[in-house]
Amino acid sequence: MDPVSTTAAPSGLLLAGSVASLAAALWLLLPKASDTVASRRLGFLLGAVALSGFAATGRSLGCVGEDAVFLTVAGIAVISGLATIVTRSPVYSAIWFAMTLAGVSGVLLVLGAQFLGVATIVVYAGAILVMFLFVLMLAQPSGMAPYDRVSNEPMLAAAAGAVLLGLLTLSIGRLSAAEPPACCRMPSRAQAVAAASVVAPSTDAASKDDASKDDESATLIAPAQPGGDTGDANEVAHLGAELFGRHLFAVEVAGVLLLVALVGAIAVVSRGEATETDHRREGR
Amino acid sequence: MNLLPSAATLAALVKIGLLVGGLMTAAAYLVLLERWIAAWVQDRRGPNRVGIPLTKVRLFGLGQPLADGLKIILKEDFTPSHVDRVLYNAAPLVILAASLAIFAAIPFGDVLPPLGIPGLPDPVPFLVAPGLDVGVLWVFALSSIAVYGVLLGGWASNNKYGFLGGLRSSAQLVAYEIPLGLGLLGVVLAAGSLRLDTIMNAQAESGVWYAFAQPLGFIVFMVASFAEAARLPFDLPEAEQELVGGYHTEYSGIKLLLFLVAEFLHMITAAFLIVILFLGGWHLWGVTGASREIGWIQALLRFGILSGKILGVIVFFMLVRWSWPRFRFDQLMNLAWKVMLPLGLVNLVTVAAVEEFRPQLVAALGPGLATAVAIALPWIACLAGWVVAGVFTPSGTDNTPILTHDPLDIERELAEHERLERAPHDVSPSELAGSR
Repeated sequence: MDPVSTTAAPSGLLLAGSVASLAAALWLLLPKASDTVASRRLGFLLGAVALSGFAATGRSLGCVGEDAVFLTVAGIAVISGLATIVTRSPVYSAIWFAMTLAGVSGVLLVLGAQFLGVATIVVYAGAILVMFLFVLMLAQPSGMAPYDRVSNEPMLAAAAGAVLLGLLTLSIGRLSAAEPPACCRMPSRAQAVAAASVVAPSTDAASKDDASKDDESATLIAPAQPGGDTGDANEVAHLGAELFGRHLFAVEVAGVLLLVALVGAIAVVSRGEATETDHRREGR
Repeated sequence: MNLLPSAATLAALVKIGLLVGGLMTAAAYLVLLERWIAAWVQDRRGPNRVGIPLTKVRLFGLGQPLADGLKIILKEDFTPSHVDRVLYNAAPLVILAASLAIFAAIPFGDVLPPLGIPGLPDPVPFLVAPGLDVGVLWVFALSSIAVYGVLLGGWASNNKYGFLGGLRSSAQLVAYEIPLGLGLLGVVLAAGSLRLDTIMNAQAESGVWYAFAQPLGFIVFMVASFAEAARLPFDLPEAEQELVGGYHTEYSGIKLLLFLVAEFLHMITAAFLIVILFLGGWHLWGVTGASREIGWIQALLRFGILSGKILGVIVFFMLVRWSWPRFRFDQLMNLAWKVMLPLGLVNLVTVAAVEEFRPQLVAALGPGLATAVAIALPWIACLAGWVVAGVFTPSGTDNTPILTHDPLDIERELAEHERLERAPHDVSPSELAGSR
């Protein structure tokens, strides 16, 4: 039985309603000059309605996981994401963003992508966001900067975000309707272990000629199956082989790009420094 | 739905309980040890009075941690009125939770012999999260989360000393994460795994600890972990003479206790990592072999050797604290970026080259000589790198004033002073620099 055909009309209405209320909620909650306590309260209420609407849509499309851990970390990610954009204080905004990253990393860990989950924390929460906080705390910003006033479009931003989310939900729902078993439920641990044991022999190929081909097929299969927390023991090895095998060129280009940025930054900084050393040479 | 926890869950809970209890007790008694060492270094007697309560038994002062703990818990938990309440309360929780969660991925022994409990995988490893494939990265991720505790504690206190302490700390931690990672990369490259237990096994199997195979990496990692643990000579975040108490100036009572415990846990984590990555973990030549099939005596022996090594590293940390002066901040940054970063890169390149050509070496020289060459090359690189760094790298920024003219030319100075007085806001920074 096709899940979409039976529930298409109600879920379509539900989705439209959720998108509309989410847009209204975001518009009410985003920082504006004309904010009142009442409008913010209404915004929170509408936001809760919109979120439960989206959850219900996802459920009727058959795409919401049942796992309590998944629901918790996903909830943390979504709610912290909302808090990030509606908070007035930049420091609190950054902290909420860190919570969003923690939630996303939790989702990745639940899906069995250990490396991505931990790397998200190391790179984003550990390095980039700490730098952000550093700057925010040093700057002690009071009120909005001029460029904030120019680019602050609460209504357009709210509408665009809500519509994007609605379209994504719709298209992911379509995908899951086409292939129900692939997305609707996370596989149980037994399934994951069985899948891993199917892949495992190919990585242990003895002959060196076959190894590269087998590796490739293994890396192609591995990311597609979300194992449990202990699903795929060689996840990091697969990821490394994929990155430095098939995508070697892209990795190298990204590295060179970063190097160029680094050299540029040093060139910008050292322009003032050079004159200082010149003075020093003259003086001594 | 089955609500009863499985045997694996129960085992994990037992391990968590043992680990947290052990760590907290260890932290309390390490404070006592630190005070004893301080007294010994400074030729004092140190804490030796408190023994069993309500008796006159002194027990060399072993009751001191209990008395200290009770005292600090019973102190008034005072919250100043000018703080940001939410973050002020959250900061100690964040730092302690992150410091404790690190230990989920750190093995505190090898394995127990098979217990035969149904539902429990045999043998039972001394590790809370045995399935974690990215153990080293997990440690890095959570120690970078601990930075938030320091930064937020300093900012939320709304106090200049606290804030300066927080900023210094975050700058220091971010800077030293890079040499720390480079020192670690050499080990990961040689062992071929991000799992700490696999890294220990690799050292036990070859019998060559990575401290001997990668001396430069060991030095870089050691220095960087001193800085990450914010111990002297890198304790600028809470330099008492300048910043009162640094980021926890405004904290008191149990919240202060949480910060102090977290700091001690950082040191214990650093000691664990140094031992596991570079000093062979539970391996000791002639005492513990590399065999995977072990009995109870061997299992306990391995646990004891690991703990003993960790205690040794911690005592080293403490001796350094009481015998070294503190760095200046520019010296600290120079050491990170101009000495430790290049040395870490040299180590990484050397290790990569040795690992890449190891099969050819073995084929050409035979296994024994090949191992000797593979150990000798990094030592040569270490000595060369050390000499080059010592000769060419400035140990600090030259802060003497930059003079482009005769400082005794009074008339010029007066004219300059007058010009600045007259129009202080019209002078651009570059002009100011040029006029000096």
